[in-house]
Amino acid sequence: MSVGRAVAGRPADPRRGRWRRVAPLASAVLVALLAGCGPLSPLDPQSEPARRISVLWWVMLAVAGVVFAGACVMLVAGWIRRREWGLPVLGERPRLLDGSVVAFGIVIPVITLVALFAWANVGIVQETDSPPPDAGMKIEVTGSQWWWQVRYPGTPAVTANEIHIPARTPVTIVTEAEDVIHSFWIPRLNRKVDSLPGHANRVELFAERPGVYRGSCAEFCGQQHARMGVSVRADPPERFRAWLASMSAPRPAPATPLARRGEQVFMSKQCASCHTIRGTPARGEVGPDLTHLKTRATLAALTIPNRRGYLAGWVVDPQAVKEGAKMPALDLTGPELQALLEYLESLR
Amino acid sequence: MTTTTAPPRAAQRRLDRLERIWEEPSGLVGWLTTVDHKRIGILYFFTSLAFFVAGGIEALLIRTQLLGPNGTVVSPELYNQLMTMHGVTMIFLAVIPMQIGAFGNYLLPLMIGARDMAFPRLNAFSYWVFLVSGIFIYTSMAVGAAPNAGWFDYVPLGSRQFSPGPGIDFYTLGLIFTGISTTASAINFIVTIFKLRAPGMSLNRMPLFCYAILAVSFALVFALPSLSTALIFLELDRALGMHFFDVGFGGDPVMWQHLFWFFGHPEVYIIILPAFGIATAIIPTFAERKMVAFALVALAEILVAFIGFGVWAHHMFTVGLPTVSQTYFAAASMMVVIPSAIQLFAWITTIATGKPRFETPLLFIIGFIVLFMIGGLTGVMTAAIPFDQQAHDTYFIVAHFHYVIFGAAVFPVLGGIYYWFPKVTGRMYNERVGKVSFWVTFAGMNLTFFPMHIVGLLGMPRRVYSYPGDVGWSTLNLIETLGAYLLAAGLLTIVANLLVSYRRGARAGNDPFGGDTLEWSVSSPPPSYNFPVIPKVSSPYAMWDRKDREDDEQRLAEGELVLEEGHETPSSTVLDADWDEILDMPSKSWAPVVLAVVLGLVFAMMLLQHYVTALGFAALAGLVLAAWNWKEPQVA
Amino acid sequence: MSDASDVTRSMEATGAVAASYAARRRRARPSGWWGVSLLICTEAALFGTMIASYFYLQAQVPEWPPPGVDKPIVTWPLVLTGVLLATSVPLFLAARAAKRGRTRATWLMLALALLVQCAYIGGQALLFVDDYNKSHPTENAYTSIYFTLVGLHAAHVIVGMALIAFLLVRLLSGLTNYRLVGVRVVALYWYFVNLIAVPVVLTQVSPSL
Repeated sequence: MSVGRAVAGRPADPRRGRWRRVAPLASAVLVALLAGCGPLSPLDPQSEPARRISVLWWVMLAVAGVVFAGACVMLVAGWIRRREWGLPVLGERPRLLDGSVVAFGIVIPVITLVALFAWANVGIVQETDSPPPDAGMKIEVTGSQWWWQVRYPGTPAVTANEIHIPARTPVTIVTEAEDVIHSFWIPRLNRKVDSLPGHANRVELFAERPGVYRGSCAEFCGQQHARMGVSVRADPPERFRAWLASMSAPRPAPATPLARRGEQVFMSKQCASCHTIRGTPARGEVGPDLTHLKTRATLAALTIPNRRGYLAGWVVDPQAVKEGAKMPALDLTGPELQALLEYLESLR
Repeated sequence: MTTTTAPPRAAQRRLDRLERIWEEPSGLVGWLTTVDHKRIGILYFFTSLAFFVAGGIEALLIRTQLLGPNGTVVSPELYNQLMTMHGVTMIFLAVIPMQIGAFGNYLLPLMIGARDMAFPRLNAFSYWVFLVSGIFIYTSMAVGAAPNAGWFDYVPLGSRQFSPGPGIDFYTLGLIFTGISTTASAINFIVTIFKLRAPGMSLNRMPLFCYAILAVSFALVFALPSLSTALIFLELDRALGMHFFDVGFGGDPVMWQHLFWFFGHPEVYIIILPAFGIATAIIPTFAERKMVAFALVALAEILVAFIGFGVWAHHMFTVGLPTVSQTYFAAASMMVVIPSAIQLFAWITTIATGKPRFETPLLFIIGFIVLFMIGGLTGVMTAAIPFDQQAHDTYFIVAHFHYVIFGAAVFPVLGGIYYWFPKVTGRMYNERVGKVSFWVTFAGMNLTFFPMHIVGLLGMPRRVYSYPGDVGWSTLNLIETLGAYLLAAGLLTIVANLLVSYRRGARAGNDPFGGDTLEWSVSSPPPSYNFPVIPKVSSPYAMWDRKDREDDEQRLAEGELVLEEGHETPSSTVLDADWDEILDMPSKSWAPVVLAVVLGLVFAMMLLQHYVTALGFAALAGLVLAAWNWKEPQVA
Repeated sequence: MSDASDVTRSMEATGAVAASYAARRRRARPSGWWGVSLLICTEAALFGTMIASYFYLQAQVPEWPPPGVDKPIVTWPLVLTGVLLATSVPLFLAARAAKRGRTRATWLMLALALLVQCAYIGGQALLFVDDYNKSHPTENAYTSIYFTLVGLHAAHVIVGMALIAFLLVRLLSGLTNYRLVGVRVVALYWYFVNLIAVPVVLTQVSPSL
């Protein structure tokens, strides 16, 4: 019995959707090829939590691919058999069709979803969940518009945007925000946590190997959200301890007259009202701590390299580097600038 | 396909009388005072289309800026305004008004055998408020102060301290304003479906499109107030200095997220449910068979709306909520997959077991099914908490929601535009160009959004006005931008096809496709009174019940259920559609447009913080409302 | 399916008797009733989210109200709420009288309700000023949500009073089907406003309970 109705004189369309499958599948291959390419990719895991999430992704992709392919097969079958009612196996009996809807629309999805839930939301989540408050080494990272303050509790060490950790050691990042909501994310090491004003979140970083792991702010936080990078550098533990010790010390005293002049320029212009340089009267809390500025590889939250020319540009015209940055342009004469640069470059 | 024979003399006299009673004047005044759901649908169509174009231009600017690394096409501030306005425009001013205001308004009374909506003047009011609120929101762009904190405007970024200009106030007040329009529409649809179905159209004989409209309307009724609360709190914080969200004063910025997403998640089902309805109207027609598992599909449509209220915090998996709450929300998010899976499987099976005619409308629906599967599958992935905690706020999510919004809402809209174009205009579109327009749009869509999955998994965050060149995102972004231009070309092809066809297309009869629902029983375009007789209905596929349709012609001649004594339509009981009353519907009125403008003034005064003047205009609005209700329909 | 003879053209009921007949003849609730019910759903959701926000904010802090803010008084708000709830009686009687075509009785009951509501809103205004003098709304999150919640309910009361005033004016020209349905739906709106007053006032005074 036909369950439809015939319509006379209607030619079938020769083109149909077999090729619809190609583009997404080709891209899936592309994914496989591109995986691991890129310093910010969660699919290039360098720690156990990131690895487990990465595996989860590939399995989910495979299952999704199967489901998708199955649906496409049915659509293609519909095209191939467009001049006949029903399908092979399913026929066209309403009971059987209703039953197949229940089977494929309810039963099989429920089984798949329960399995996924158990694996991801009961299993893996224990690995990626926030570490308990009393876990080992802590580093406090505070997000501001648009940079990250990094403190090492128990030491005077303060830096910005570039976090050093000992490799092969569990480290708990405790993050809050100074102003708006930010999000701390080092993709190759672990998932992201939001940095909220007034509420601390924690994420564990465990770098299996020494290296540099880039990250970025992952919650829209205003004009320069795009330029709020963060990085984690994992060093062998002794090297880390040496670094931490040097970071805990006050600034190296300026060795040359030009550098001393530069320190005077720093104190006389508004710099000290926003920046701290330990060992000097400068105790500003608005911008990053500059005590060991030269130990950082970048400036302006991974926006530009920390080299003299870029530093000059950043100091003289911050808006040209990072429009909207809270740092005002300073009115410096040529000699003042040279002295200041000499000084800043000495802050190792 | 029905054949139209000239009606006998008595019938013709009745038709003439109906025409005289229902015809509205043409010209500007006629359109400003219209209460005809078809005219209102057309107004909604062109207005939401204009906003869709605006949102599209914003998108093209975004993509052009992201064509290569470190782009300088637009400044960071302008980019952030563009990406915010793109989201706000597409969701609130384009996709939802197009589906509910244009498709819903035009088609619902026709599909249920009514002559108009339950509250025709309220319907007009919904439209005018939509127009005025859209203008209100876009005024922000005209004064260079568009909102720039993203379409979900998290606090504290959206607070006065961090967004000092009027931009966010345009956002809060503008969305409260638009919400009035959508709420009124939702109420109107529910009452129309409950009360104005043709006598005999019990709920189980109602077309699936109407079930989708019913589900989306209930979702709107319960979801929008949460957004209103959030917006009221934010505006009170910004304008009057209150502290709902200020940490130092006992407030909580995360409360914004809860309130917003309690609305925001049902909102995304609101975006796709009418599209499901369009799909369920097109599939039986072109597959030439009834929908498989009709009752399950109808139930699934309602369940999607219902379960969708329980999942909101899956947008907040990185905020630091307690693990047990997160687990609950992940479980609920997986549960909501089931009704969609039911519908998908039913649709595919219906097409596969039918004799599908792969014409343009069906092509768009098949494209929708493919794209919705992809978007839905990536959505399931994000219900895996650890994976979401990596993918959240990256382009993977941008890919996901564009697949479900563009793929699962816009594609059915495009298919629906083609499908009902002959009905609304009386002309056929060009089928070959239609197919070309489908393939170009489909290719452009995938080229634009598929690479976003990849670039997101390569670590590219959302809402970045540029990206560096050394992280492996450049090629993919280039492809996406080229895809966006291809997509624009596809959409322009659709527009061109329809524009030319409007002028020179072949005349369409009542029923060029063999449709299953009642709008195909009347002329193209329908007469002002919709139906000469209120149709007799025995199943959800009223057009395929030939005996009933032949009976209609007989009844026209005999004057049964013609209801020609005034502006009349029947009203029935809710469940079984037993005929209960004859309603006299209002005819043209100035009150809706005037009230919408006065409300616009109220909101404008609140934006400018002239609260006393705002109160004055509110009192004036009260007077206009009184004048509206002064004129009772029987006097009209 | 019934035929045209036993179905009313209810909009033609331009007199009290005809309107009453149409109301009694009707089997399903009129469209306006459904419309206002759905409006009530949206307003209930609005109040629901605001009340939920109150308790959410309370859960974030150790002391509620925060130090420096007096705990709310209990007696007068509860008494006033009782007064408001009582107005449901004349409103119910008004709706019933309208259904029976008794225009004058409808009018009197509505006027009585309005009078009592005026007393209520006057009392509420006094309490509001008293609260305002003790703490300004912009002091902290507690005062913000407190004044907003109370203010939102008061706004609903004022709108309801305006609706009754409108009906009183229209009913002076007699009862029609449209106005009869109007009385019914305004009464329905008021049942909601009165009912929701209970959770609102309980929330308002909850720190002192």
